[in-house]
Amino acid sequence: MTGMQRLEAALHLGVGSRVPVVPQVFGFTAKLCGTPLTEYLASGDTLARCQLQTREHFGYDAVFGVMDVSVETEAVGSKLCFRDNHYPSVTSYAITQAADLKRLCLPDPSRAGRMPEILRALGIMRSVLADQVPVVGLVLGPLTLATQLMGMEKALYLAIDEPDQFTEILEFASQVTTLFGRAQLRAGAHLMMIFDPASTPAVVPPHFFREFELPLITRVFAEFKREGSLANWLHIAGPVEPILPYYGPAGADIANIDYQVEPDVALRQLPGICINGNLKSSSFIFSSPEEIRDTSLALMGAFQDRGGFILSSGCEIPPESKPGNVGALVSAAGVRGRLRG
Amino acid sequence: MNLTDGKESLSHLIELLTAGDCGQVVREIQDLLAKGVLRETIIVDGIEKSLELLDAKCTVAEFNLLEIMLVGRAAMGAMKEIYPHDAASQPDRGAVVIATLEGDVHDIGKNIVKMILSWKGYRVVDCGKDCPLKLLLDAVEKEKPLAVFISGLITTVIPLVCQVKEALAARGLDDITVVAGGAALKQLSASQLRVDYVAEDAFSSLRFLESRAGAPT
Repeated sequence: MTGMQRLEAALHLGVGSRVPVVPQVFGFTAKLCGTPLTEYLASGDTLARCQLQTREHFGYDAVFGVMDVSVETEAVGSKLCFRDNHYPSVTSYAITQAADLKRLCLPDPSRAGRMPEILRALGIMRSVLADQVPVVGLVLGPLTLATQLMGMEKALYLAIDEPDQFTEILEFASQVTTLFGRAQLRAGAHLMMIFDPASTPAVVPPHFFREFELPLITRVFAEFKREGSLANWLHIAGPVEPILPYYGPAGADIANIDYQVEPDVALRQLPGICINGNLKSSSFIFSSPEEIRDTSLALMGAFQDRGGFILSSGCEIPPESKPGNVGALVSAAGVRGRLRG
Repeated sequence: MNLTDGKESLSHLIELLTAGDCGQVVREIQDLLAKGVLRETIIVDGIEKSLELLDAKCTVAEFNLLEIMLVGRAAMGAMKEIYPHDAASQPDRGAVVIATLEGDVHDIGKNIVKMILSWKGYRVVDCGKDCPLKLLLDAVEKEKPLAVFISGLITTVIPLVCQVKEALAARGLDDITVVAGGAALKQLSASQLRVDYVAEDAFSSLRFLESRAGAPT
């Protein structure tokens, strides 16, 4: 079976030739390939090369067209700071007050900031992998993008103090998300992930998520399906148990769970949805390959009866992770990676 | 005003604080001060009580930044109303140096810890976000704090956090307690990060500090 066939089997809660394994590796791929992170973050060609070589090295089941979480806010007008070996950070937000929204334009993904580089990378990866291995695109959730457009503290206080203004900003953010995601699907992504860490119950209470964010995610996912997304992947890190019941209504086909969510809880709350997770990100830095393997085997055991599971980390595998630990994750799923010399 | 009236008024203040209603809290403080309720009474039986309630409510399952931000903002508004001109008249239980280290610009967690420590009477020396290690060490050398608090949301700061104790020791500051917290750092143990304590949340960092300082929470 190909990676694509394994993913499709998991989406139907079936069992393929083995459990699909998808390490969430972004900057890690640059490090593994000996490429400066700054080059990976600037060039679609480099991103595609690093993603493809790393997948070839380990033999896992999907690649990501992902640079960092500042691509959208930069495209809208925020200024970023790039430094060696770090993801960029926002130095000047596109929105400093709610009134700024009126002068902002929706970005053109073919021209704005690094968006075209992401589209280029997706096109290259789709072309090389054809339909054998899924190519995953990623956009920020509207709430997370709103926090990236104006800073988290300011955004959250605005949500409480001026909910109408905040709703307008969220609406704008959701339009950016939709535009960029649709462009990624047209460029070559098979499926889209919404990455929305600001929606975690560790940041906002579940009713906040339900009232502000859920309607927007639902609409964005529907747009992605209309654009041909094979599946909608919802990724909210942290202790998401209280909001898991909303994942189905939102239109999620794959639900990411972090290490703070027990597999049996996820199985109970997400009966018809494929689940991925949930090794602790930091374990890829500090644990041994044996520990990664044992945790992975236990996880796969938890989902064995139902199927519909993708072995993965609960969040990004950090760039400074030990390659042997990624190898252990992949090996646990029964893959023989072809080691490069 | 008699004691009963004061407690009833303070229970209303606690309700407003717990709801995070900053505007109403400020008006309530003005009203209490006008009625002659002592500043210390408002702080100990009102603001600190709301802090205790929030602490008790913030279990792992219910903790969320937004709620703490709102209560924190309301409490800071209350403190400004109580001490409008003379912040120095607030109790000083010792200094704490706090920072988000170089490479991490997410300071919301740091700011919340700062608010909570300030409530409790600690003088917080804030080295800001994206803080170079040298700047942190200089501040510790100058302030001789009870502890250093480091907040980290992203994993890329982990190597720098691991250097803090050793760098302090190199300056003869090996007796300074180092506390780490935040989404990235709390995934790890104190020994992995080479710090004295890893806090699950802002309140557990406070409890650890109070236990080290020998003060009641």
